[in-house]
Amino acid sequence: MIEREIIINKVADALVKAGSVFSSDKFEAYNKAIDNEESELSKWSMTCIKENAETAEQRKSPLCDDTGIPHLILEVGKNRAVSGELLDAIYAGVSQGLKKLPGRPMAIKGDDWKRVDQSLGLYEESEAVLPAPLQLKYVEDENRLSLTVLMQGGGPEIRAKTYRVFHRHSKETVLDEIVSWADEVVGQLGCTPCTIAVGIGRSHYEASALMLQAMADGNYSIQSKEEKYITEQVNKTGVGSLGLKGKCSVLGTFIKVGPQRASGVRIVCMRPCCCFEPRKYTVNL
Amino acid sequence: MKELIFPVSKADIETLKVGETIQISGKILCGRDAVLPRVVDLYKKDQLEKEGIDLKGSLIFHTAVSVAGIGPTSSNKKEIEDNIAVLSEAGVKMHLGKGALKKETVEALNEHNSVYAVIPPVTALLDSKIKNVRCVAFNELGMEALYELEVDKFPAVIAAAQGKSIYEND
Repeated sequence: MIEREIIINKVADALVKAGSVFSSDKFEAYNKAIDNEESELSKWSMTCIKENAETAEQRKSPLCDDTGIPHLILEVGKNRAVSGELLDAIYAGVSQGLKKLPGRPMAIKGDDWKRVDQSLGLYEESEAVLPAPLQLKYVEDENRLSLTVLMQGGGPEIRAKTYRVFHRHSKETVLDEIVSWADEVVGQLGCTPCTIAVGIGRSHYEASALMLQAMADGNYSIQSKEEKYITEQVNKTGVGSLGLKGKCSVLGTFIKVGPQRASGVRIVCMRPCCCFEPRKYTVNL
Repeated sequence: MKELIFPVSKADIETLKVGETIQISGKILCGRDAVLPRVVDLYKKDQLEKEGIDLKGSLIFHTAVSVAGIGPTSSNKKEIEDNIAVLSEAGVKMHLGKGALKKETVEALNEHNSVYAVIPPVTALLDSKIKNVRCVAFNELGMEALYELEVDKFPAVIAAAQGKSIYEND
């Protein structure tokens, strides 16, 4: 038996925090970027973004009006169980969290094709927005049962890309391809500085799942050599904050590499996350 | 920092320069992909007044308006950018959003004495600067309807004016 109300409240609270709170490493990354920035306009824009984060946390209100689509990662150790009852409580918690944040009421009415052409309009309720399919991950920590809520905005989805890369048995080939994809879109994003999230897997599904995991696990204070390389290369575009030109177009890069196929091809998912993302929060259930 | 109180006159706009930071106050309109083509359609049929829409000296902020607040969407989305020239011709003096616009849009703005400004996506900060919200037209579009907001000192930067753009390569 699970304590349904406790789970609902924990999940709702996690969703509100994901949509309204910057992590401490993100604040630190902004402080460094503002100090290093030479462009006055870019510095001004990043200062506004930081002040906005402070206000949102204080008021427990959305960082951005595009509050995003909830994406969930459930991590489970071998001593814990996932039941239909638990999943039901998690979904109820998401619904409650969307009401509380409040989330943007952007669920589309109608059957399959009416939703595609948006001809029947939108639901008025924030909680009508349904979460993306839940990602379940088995973890070594035997007693772990945790949920990470990520709120995925629309702008980065327009510019993200999942595609094959012929690696030529060279890590550099894959990294440079990611840089070229990011170079192409970072200026179109508008809400920069961005964070480049990358998943490298054997299928498009796996690469996307790994990219989401990279967003969940990533930390601006702990950057690998490869992550630093991508950040430095893309910063050479000089896009700057809000596209106003400057040194900082990318705050950091988060990469997750999964199992790979015996093949000349790697499937790469690259998502240029906006200036507020990753909007995430992890809660133990 | 210059404060512009909307609606504005031609004279208020023609001295603005690319890269200038401004504050936006007064009554502004909000609309994006879904509603702007409909507003243009009304203008072409000479039905704006009938629908209670006055674009003279106005500002259109490319945003949805919902319980989650407001924040700029990309102004270079097709259904937004393609309508900037006609809306400027109809009297819009400032288009507010984010992202680079095409050269021909920058030229069209200049032709109609209009400008483009960008605003950081600071929903929580903007929320504290909104004094009043009113749905003007196309209520059925929900958060994507045409709204009028009364605002106080929104921060922005002029990104395109007098045929020049901040996004041009140096």
